[in-house]
Amino acid sequence: MRSSTPPWNGWIGLIIEDYWSRLETFRRLSTSCCIISNWKGHPKPHDSHKTASGIPGAIQLLIRYGVWLKKVLLRVLTMTLLGMAVGTCVALLAVGFVEVVEWSNEILLISPRSRMIEGDTVWLTTATIAVPTIGGLLVGLLCLLIPERRPHGPPDAIQAAQSLDGAMPVKAGAVSALAAGISLGAGASVGQYGPLAHIGASVGSWLSRAFGNSRYLGTIGIGCGAAAAIATAFNAPIAGLVFAHEVILRHYSLRAFAPISVAATLGYLVANFAFDRQPLFRVEKFAIVSPYEFLGFILIGVAGAVLATVFMKAVLYAAKLAKSLALPAPFKPALAGLMVGIVALQIPEVLGIGKEVLRFAIIENTFTAYELVLILIAKLILTAMCLGFGFAGGIFSPGLLIGILFGTLVGYGVDAVFFDQRSHIALYAICGMVAVTSPVIGAPLTTILIVFELTRNYDLATAAMVSVAFANLVGYRIFGRSLFDIQLHMRNFDLSLGRDKVIIERRRVGDFVSDDFTRAAADTSLQSVRDSLLHTGRTVAYAVDDQGLYLGMLSINQLMELGVKEVAIARIEDYATPGPLILSPDDSLWDAMVKLEDFVGESIPVVDEGRLIGVVFEASIVRAYLKALNEIRSEENAAA
Amino acid sequence: MKSDPKKMRRHRQQYLTAWLLALLLMSCGGVINAGQVLTVVTWGGPYEQSQKKAFFDPFEQETGIEVKTIRYNGGIEILKNRQESDPAVGDLIDLVMADNLAACNLGLLEPLDHSTLPDAPDGTPAIDDFYPGALTDCGVSLNIYATVLAFDRRAFPGIKPSRVSDLFDLKRFPGKRALQREPIAVLEWALRAYGVPQQEIYNLLSTNRGISLAFKQLDLIKDHILWWQDSAQPARLLAQGEVVMASGYNGRFFDALVNHNHPIQIIWDGQVYEYSTWGVPRNAPMSKQAKAFISFASATDRLAQQAKYISYGPARASSGAQVWKHDPSGIDIRPHLPTFEPNFAAGISKDHEWYAHTLPRLKQQFERWLTE
Repeated sequence: MRSSTPPWNGWIGLIIEDYWSRLETFRRLSTSCCIISNWKGHPKPHDSHKTASGIPGAIQLLIRYGVWLKKVLLRVLTMTLLGMAVGTCVALLAVGFVEVVEWSNEILLISPRSRMIEGDTVWLTTATIAVPTIGGLLVGLLCLLIPERRPHGPPDAIQAAQSLDGAMPVKAGAVSALAAGISLGAGASVGQYGPLAHIGASVGSWLSRAFGNSRYLGTIGIGCGAAAAIATAFNAPIAGLVFAHEVILRHYSLRAFAPISVAATLGYLVANFAFDRQPLFRVEKFAIVSPYEFLGFILIGVAGAVLATVFMKAVLYAAKLAKSLALPAPFKPALAGLMVGIVALQIPEVLGIGKEVLRFAIIENTFTAYELVLILIAKLILTAMCLGFGFAGGIFSPGLLIGILFGTLVGYGVDAVFFDQRSHIALYAICGMVAVTSPVIGAPLTTILIVFELTRNYDLATAAMVSVAFANLVGYRIFGRSLFDIQLHMRNFDLSLGRDKVIIERRRVGDFVSDDFTRAAADTSLQSVRDSLLHTGRTVAYAVDDQGLYLGMLSINQLMELGVKEVAIARIEDYATPGPLILSPDDSLWDAMVKLEDFVGESIPVVDEGRLIGVVFEASIVRAYLKALNEIRSEENAAA
Repeated sequence: MKSDPKKMRRHRQQYLTAWLLALLLMSCGGVINAGQVLTVVTWGGPYEQSQKKAFFDPFEQETGIEVKTIRYNGGIEILKNRQESDPAVGDLIDLVMADNLAACNLGLLEPLDHSTLPDAPDGTPAIDDFYPGALTDCGVSLNIYATVLAFDRRAFPGIKPSRVSDLFDLKRFPGKRALQREPIAVLEWALRAYGVPQQEIYNLLSTNRGISLAFKQLDLIKDHILWWQDSAQPARLLAQGEVVMASGYNGRFFDALVNHNHPIQIIWDGQVYEYSTWGVPRNAPMSKQAKAFISFASATDRLAQQAKYISYGPARASSGAQVWKHDPSGIDIRPHLPTFEPNFAAGISKDHEWYAHTLPRLKQQFERWLTE
């Protein structure tokens, strides 16, 4: 960050600054009308910052509270308008995204309605196989444009928010959104909420730059965007608000809370009033028949966590499998698409989001137990393939489908054991749905709230809460906090160790290198090394050869132990040793800190490909760590 | 529907000028077109009566073209057969929207130019004034009518049926039901009875699972159904006490209730509403006159006139404001319209496009289920 220029407070800052400076010109008195207030008789402008009597007068109060007022105004306006801008933009984009996906599903014969209208079986068969395959190929080609060669998603939003910079890439974000649109439009077995949350987070991050370059703004923008996307997609503003905190930010600060609430509310308003979007699915009211059923909901939670773990492991395994395949990258998603198409000929439910299945599952006896198991397994495997092989999309919607089928299956089981003594199948189905999805995205509160806001049914939300609680408990133990966290872990971004570690792990030793050290050519005599060290007050000299390659170090203590004679004739290269610790500029600060644990000394040499590029002081590493801690604390505790 | 007195006055003025103009035209036009006959294929019954009063008679007076009607019971067979055998039948046909789309897709109708339709009294172009979807390539809608359930009030003196699911509830509401021998509406109701929201019905019916689920629901009452094919039957069956519940067009039931005082009550929950639409058969001998008739009959006040005689909602927004009293009973007709707010909210919007493509297949499945 440049310190010479004043901080960029965004256009709101500019406007406030402009008006403020106009106000200040009124206060600044000209020299001609000033009171002569010093002995030498020079006219001196009256300093309105100082009081004449020691008691603050009107002007001083104005200045004192004015600065404070200006700050308050700037903050409140920035936060509110950021929330409003991000909320509106993201909500419109989210509605647009869903519309485009639905439209493509109609055109490309993915949606049941379009398939029914088409009717022609030959043409349908061709389209069912060709559309996901070609879609996969397009997605594969698009991903070549992304530096990481994979579509971005919620984990990238989490990473950006957790690493304090809050910056999301523009190109990768846009390409990923396009890839997700194609994946969903072509009927791949992936979800839409992941891409929506990611689009929201990206747009939030980009828009926040217009509001200033304080780094917290980026993170808050990400939170606002994710919240607005979820609020729009589910018609559930509170769930959106909680999602941003629970999954993306992972802390509660009052400063972030206000703009995120604003964004979530706007998302809800746009979805509900401007576009009259229907929620994912409405559920009518059901009552719980017997209190013993809560035992069943606990069981659903435990078993759901196991199923969720199988699901997530399958996704990770498919990714590994894809890596080992000797196929050009763009053909991998095409292969997954082909699989989806072939299976869909027999089980059309696997195509796309499969919203109809959600509805069928909560109608009594629509499926036989055999059909439930069949669709569940097919969906699980195909989703794993699609996501692992490189389609862009989320895991939440397939999780909903797998979960609801599982819940229905449990409902049938309960029916078989306690004949006719259970509540409506929808209760079990929805408990199963949340028990599988909650551990997958690591968002228990969000899931409960989604159920609550969609159904507005206390009984159902309570039942869901029980399942979710146990599902997350078990899921965390046997897998991890969420698929996102595990994916981030595999990219060396391990949030389970704490944010401080994650942040300093991403800072490189190279940024802290100092050239404040004694460099000696290989043939320098010990005599002159000693003189130089004594003269500069340093304790270590580093020896390099004529190519700049690092030879070793020699401390003043070692020099002192040598006899006078040796010092007089020997050269530094004869005595220099590599030293206990050498760092590379690419080492993370965390690595350096771990290595420093047993280190005693002044500085550590930093060597890049054999060349000595400088040294790092223990103090600067500790200072960097403390600074990171400080930044985290000030972000997480910020009130406004 | 609030009425602004100023607007009303302006409407009345425009209405008067329109009539004066019409009279003027009548004096000359009547002479020129004398002897021409426009054949309109339509539905008969009180519906045709309302069309006669609102459209046919004024058109005859204005242009001198005589309007003759042919009665039919819906479907596009009449258009299909016509091409092969008798090219003289029908210059204009009143079709349900799904049939209009299906016929248009098969090239049985002439394309229509919507720019010739008259503007609303406040100057809103017709394209913006008609409800969304009311104007299609080969169609100009005239009203929104509904297929509804109705019951005999005498049969249920205590608790009365009020929801679609009551159709399938033989325990609480025993007795025979009269339903149309068509998949239309009964499939929607079957799924609605499971608690499926209106917007999801056609998506679910698009799957084999959804269809079989619907038939499973219908199986519950299969032995208690009397199938009707003539749209005059259901109201009569109810009035005669032969059935306790029946499906039918809301206009027929309204007619039985208001004009004949039969103890019938409509269940608005789950009403399947759709457009009635004018279409001009391809190569119709009087196609020019037919198109002129469509423009004449699509004016705001003409459409409102029809709702004076029958309880079908006009297809354009500006007409809604002019609908008020039923003729001759004088009752407020608005609560009897499918477009009345509470009725509308509980209704199912018939997916015309879906039916236009799927009806033949659905009929096959339906007939197979009937014989099972």
